[in-house]
Formats: sequence, structure tokens, C-alpha cells
Amino acid sequence: MATTAVTSAGIASEAPRSDFGRVLAQRERRFAAALLAPAFLALLATTTFPLLFLVYTSAFRMDLAMPFTNGFVGFENYQVLLSDERFWTSLLVSLVYTGSTVALQVIIGLALALLVMDMKRGQGCFRVIAILPVVLSPAVVGMIWRTFMLAPEFGIVDFLAINAGLGSKNWLGDPTLAMVSVIAIHTWQWTPFAFMVLLASLASLPEDIYEAARLDRASAWQRFRRITLPLLRPAIVMVIIMRTMVALTAFAAIFTVTAGGPGTATEILNLYAYRKSFTELSIGYGSALAVALLIVTIIISGILFAMRRAK
Amino acid sequence: MSSQGQVSFRNIVKMHGEFAALKGVNFDIKPGEFFALLGPSGSGKSTTLRILAGLDAPTAGRVLIDDKDVTSTDARDRDIAMVFQSYALYPHMTVAENIAFPLEMAKLPKSEIAPTVKEAARKVKIDHLLDRKPGQLSGGQQQRCALARAIVRKARLFLLDEPLSNLDAKLRLETRAELKKLQRSLGITAVYVTHDQEEAMTLADRMAVFMSGEIQQVGTPAEVFARPNSIDIAGFIGNPPMNLVPARYVDGDVIIAGHRLKTTATTAGERDVVVGLRPGALRMTEGGLGARVDLIEDLGDTAVLDLDCAGTMIRMRVADGNIPGEGDTISITARPQDIHLFDPATRMRL
Ligand SMILES: Nc1ncnc2c1ncn2[C@@H]1O[C@H](COP(=O)(O)OP(=O)(O)OP(=O)(O)O)[C@@H](O)[C@H]1O
Ligand SMILES: [Mg+2]
Repeated sequence: MATTAVTSAGIASEAPRSDFGRVLAQRERRFAAALLAPAFLALLATTTFPLLFLVYTSAFRMDLAMPFTNGFVGFENYQVLLSDERFWTSLLVSLVYTGSTVALQVIIGLALALLVMDMKRGQGCFRVIAILPVVLSPAVVGMIWRTFMLAPEFGIVDFLAINAGLGSKNWLGDPTLAMVSVIAIHTWQWTPFAFMVLLASLASLPEDIYEAARLDRASAWQRFRRITLPLLRPAIVMVIIMRTMVALTAFAAIFTVTAGGPGTATEILNLYAYRKSFTELSIGYGSALAVALLIVTIIISGILFAMRRAK
Repeated sequence: MSSQGQVSFRNIVKMHGEFAALKGVNFDIKPGEFFALLGPSGSGKSTTLRILAGLDAPTAGRVLIDDKDVTSTDARDRDIAMVFQSYALYPHMTVAENIAFPLEMAKLPKSEIAPTVKEAARKVKIDHLLDRKPGQLSGGQQQRCALARAIVRKARLFLLDEPLSNLDAKLRLETRAELKKLQRSLGITAVYVTHDQEEAMTLADRMAVFMSGEIQQVGTPAEVFARPNSIDIAGFIGNPPMNLVPARYVDGDVIIAGHRLKTTATTAGERDVVVGLRPGALRMTEGGLGARVDLIEDLGDTAVLDLDCAGTMIRMRVADGNIPGEGDTISITARPQDIHLFDPATRMRL
């Protein structure tokens, strides 16, 4: 959008010159369109079409277990959804999961970045180690945690808990602990991302303003509050936006660790839609759930982007 | 009030790895004094200032402020205001917020901050820019904002690292005068870094001349100008600086290019020397040292002549009105008391 505005402005300023420029610009635009077309069509086919199809499906009863009841139902799926307690629960789980894991990622990532910034040696080493979880597939991460870390008695976390005198816990069986576990897993995997972004942002801050602040007699906390935080704000907001989108639609890690259980304790909206569609085979209602998730995501990202523009 | 702000440097050494940025620096600044650090680029002026401010620790030596050893005191606790060479403005704050920051840190009541900020901004003529961010200011405006942030708080010491380098000539003169007045009225000790010797000469009560990490001379600007300690200082101070000509000293006379000049400076016996001659101290006369005019730089009220004296380049300043033409041959001389002698081996004054 920005580029078209720029080119049209450029053409406008050149308008009196001759038709030659206009013809050239037109030809250029046609060439640009030709270059863009394949990508545009591919995107249309892989995202827009399935999306529209999803919305279309959500207006039908499409129950693979009971095919004889199938047919167009209009908004009925949505009416059911609004009074579906499991929907509201999963929405709440989604929001808790997203809110807490994003907050943790930003706070821990920022703390780590501040810590590493002060390290004289070993920064590069730390960065390499930190990036490792990010490059793993979420499904693999889920498996690692379920077996290595959280398995009763043999898992590292459980082992530590026993040695700390807390006793062996049922990390994935207890509803509250299961929620804590999946949040911890997501945070563990994605904090390095926040860390890397914030570290890069921190490293680009000029050093002399901190010296000026010291001479202006600002304490370490005041320097953080009044200088570092405001200057990192754009980076922090960007991290929040990106991580929120991903956390809202998280799937693989939870699916491999708890599959939404125990019961529906860790069933985020995404998982509920999946279970409804592919376990209970109610494709129509599942589609309505997916559309609801889409709407929630759009609303939240709208709010976040508005926050970003504010001030 | 002006009993505060006494500074002493005792054998300060600063190493950057193998490189010695300061090689044992000593000086004392009296309370209320305007002290300039003058020297060419890279001579260690900023390093000295940063060590005084507590931003860098010296490798060896001690810093005393008001007779208290502050060598290991944090910058925060030294009560020093500083104008950075790089301005160091807070980029996310407006000019007003930048200037107010030290006051807020000092926990001044809100009702007092706004008028104080306005007053400081007015002194450096940026009171119409208070709502701008530093990124929306020109270099000179940023510099004045940094200046305002430093003067807004009544610190014990006032450090300035080339605070006028980015201002135009007129503004520089005005701000210079404003600074001097301000420093006088507050009775605050100021340490002023510059490589512009005119600035040092007009502002400073005393100055220290730095050369590659060492102080070569401390004194009032007039003293340093009149009796430079070494060849390096002689070649740095003055615009254009002193002519330095190899010559031979023979009991009371110096012989330059075969011509004898009387001098009041004395040294033992007969020896090779370097003669220093201020461009402004040279006179045109009959029967003097013959020289050909190579080039004339007209500065308006005066002109600087580049003269070729039997292969040695000598610069001379002449008043408007009696400027010879390019290519002319003239004859020059200097009064005996205007001839400075230096030792070519030690580079020191004889
Ligand atoms: N961090 C550093 N590492 C290595 N050398 C340094 C470092 N900081 C400064 N120096 C060197 O120390 C010397 C003195 O630097 P300083 O900044 O004090 O010069 P200056 O007199 O302020 O010059 P200018 O007029 O250009 O500002 C310079 O030669 C510089 O290259
Ligand atoms: Mg400097």
C-alpha cells in the first residue's frame, strides 16, 4: 500500500513532463502486477479460499457420524456456540494461556537480555544456547517435556520437586498443574525469541545517554524505568503482538503433551475446534468454533495494534 | 559558594590496552575557576573529562574534588553536570523533558520545574523548541539543549566537552558570552574542553594544553600565548600559529638563512636552535631578511602572507593597507623580544 502511494505521488510530480513518463510508469506497473500475480494466486488458493470455505461450512450441519442430519442451518451453529459452556471455558483457557505465556516471555526475555547485556564475556555462546529451543518443532518440544522433564519420578522436573521436598507431583494429570505445565513449556520454547529481539534492541541503544542519566543522578531503577523501558517499548509491543498471535493459535505442543486434558483443563479454543471436528466429527460446528477463534484473534490483534499506534 | 569545586588530578594514567591515552596527568583547578583543556584531536581531553566525571576509572592515579579522594566514587555521587561531545540527549523525551530530567531526579517540586526549565532554555535560546524531540532538532539546537540540561541544575562542577562546536559563528559568540556570564554569576567551577584555541583564550581563566596524553603547559591564556613551553605548543597556539624555523644561535644573535637577528633570549655558547616567530610579530623593513611573497590570504581586516625565505616557509600577518603583491620580494625583521628559542632535540623552550 505504501509503495503504491509513493509511486503515484512520484507520477503526479512528473505529470507535466510528457506522456512518455506516464506510459513508462504504466508499463512498470503492469510488469509489477505480472510479477506479483503467481504469489497472489497461490495465497488466494491456500489461505483465502480455505477461509471462505470454512465460513461456508460453518453454516451447515455436517456431522460425519450422523450424515442423515446434514444440511444448511444458517446461524444455528453460532447460536449453539454462544450457549455452549465448553466453548466459553476453552476461550477462557485460551486467554489465560496466551496472557500468561506472553507476559512470562516478555518479562523473562527482558530480564535475560538485560543480564546478558552486562556480560563482558560469553555473550555469543549464550545466544547460541538460547536459540536452541526455538528451532525445535513444538511437537518435539512437547514430547521432550512429557518424557524427559515431567514424567513421574524419572523426569527432571519431578526429580527436582522430589529432592526439594515437594514430593512427586502429577504434572500432567492434575488440572491446575497441567495448565501450569503447558504454559511453562510454551514459555520455555519461545522466551529465547523475545530475548533475542529485546537484546538486539537493547544493544542498539546509545551508551552515552546512560552516562548522562548517571550524571543527572538517576538510580539504576530510574534509568530502567525512564530510559530503557520507553526506548524498548516498540520492540516490546512488537514481541507481544507476534507472540500473542502464535500463542492464541498454539496447537502442537499442547496436543502432544496433554491433548487438552485432563478433561478440558488445557483445552484451548484451537484444540476444542480440532477435537470437535476430527474426534467428534462435527465438521460444521468445528468450523464455527474455528471462525470464532479467528474473530477473537482479529479483535485482540486489533487492540494490540491500536496500542502500538497510541503515543 | 565558590569555596566549592576544587579539583586535583594526581598522576592520572589511562591505558586502553597497550595504548596510553593519558600518561600521568597532574593539574589543580581552583574553586570558581573557568579552566580550559586545550589540545589537538586525540590528545586525551575527553578522556580527562570522563575520568573527572567518574564515567571512566583511571588506570592509576587519584582524583580529588574539594580535597576528598573521589577516584572510586560513582558518577552519580559526584554532583557534576556535563555537556557531552555527542550531546547524549534522551531521544524519547521532548526538549522540555530532557531539561527537566535532572530536576526530577533531584526531586524538585513540579511547580518549580516548569519555570526553571523555561529559564534555562531561554538562556540558550531554545525556548521556542520545548515540545520537539531531539530527532527534530538541528545539531546546534541539540547542542544547546544539552547545554540547558547541564546548567539547569546547580552542580558542584560543570564539565563541557566542546559544547559550541556545532554552532554558527554568531551563535557561538553569543553562547560563549552567555556561558561566561552564567559561570561568573553562579561562581561555579567549569572545565571546558576545546580544540579551538580562540575559545580557550577568550573564556578561560587558566588552561592546560594537552599533547598526546600529557599536559605540556598550564597557565593563563596570555601566559601560554606569550611564552609557549615547547615547539608543539608553539605550533598549536595562535592563528596562524608561530613560525618555527631552524637556525643557529651565536652569542645573542640567531642566524636564519644567512641573516642575523638580535634576540633577548639567551642560551649557552653556539648551537643549533629552532626559532619561533609569531606571524603578527614580523615587520617589513629595509635591510632585513629577504623573502618572496608566495601567496596572500586576505582575511578582510588583515592578510596572511606565505613567504619563501631561502627555502623556508614563513607566515606573516600584515594589517590591511600595506599588502605587497604576490611574487614581490620583501624584507622582514622581528624585535629582539619577539624571538623565541627552542631546543631542537628536547623540543623545549630555551
Ligand atoms: N575505548 C578506547 N579504546 C582505545 N583507545 C581509545 C578509547 N577511547 C579513547 N581512545 C584513544 O585515546 C585517545 C584520547 O582520546 P580522547 O577522546 O580523550 O581525545 P580528545 O582529546 O577528546 O579528542 P577530540 O578533540 O577529537 O575529541 C585517542 O587517541 C583515542 O583514540
Ligand atoms: Mg573529545
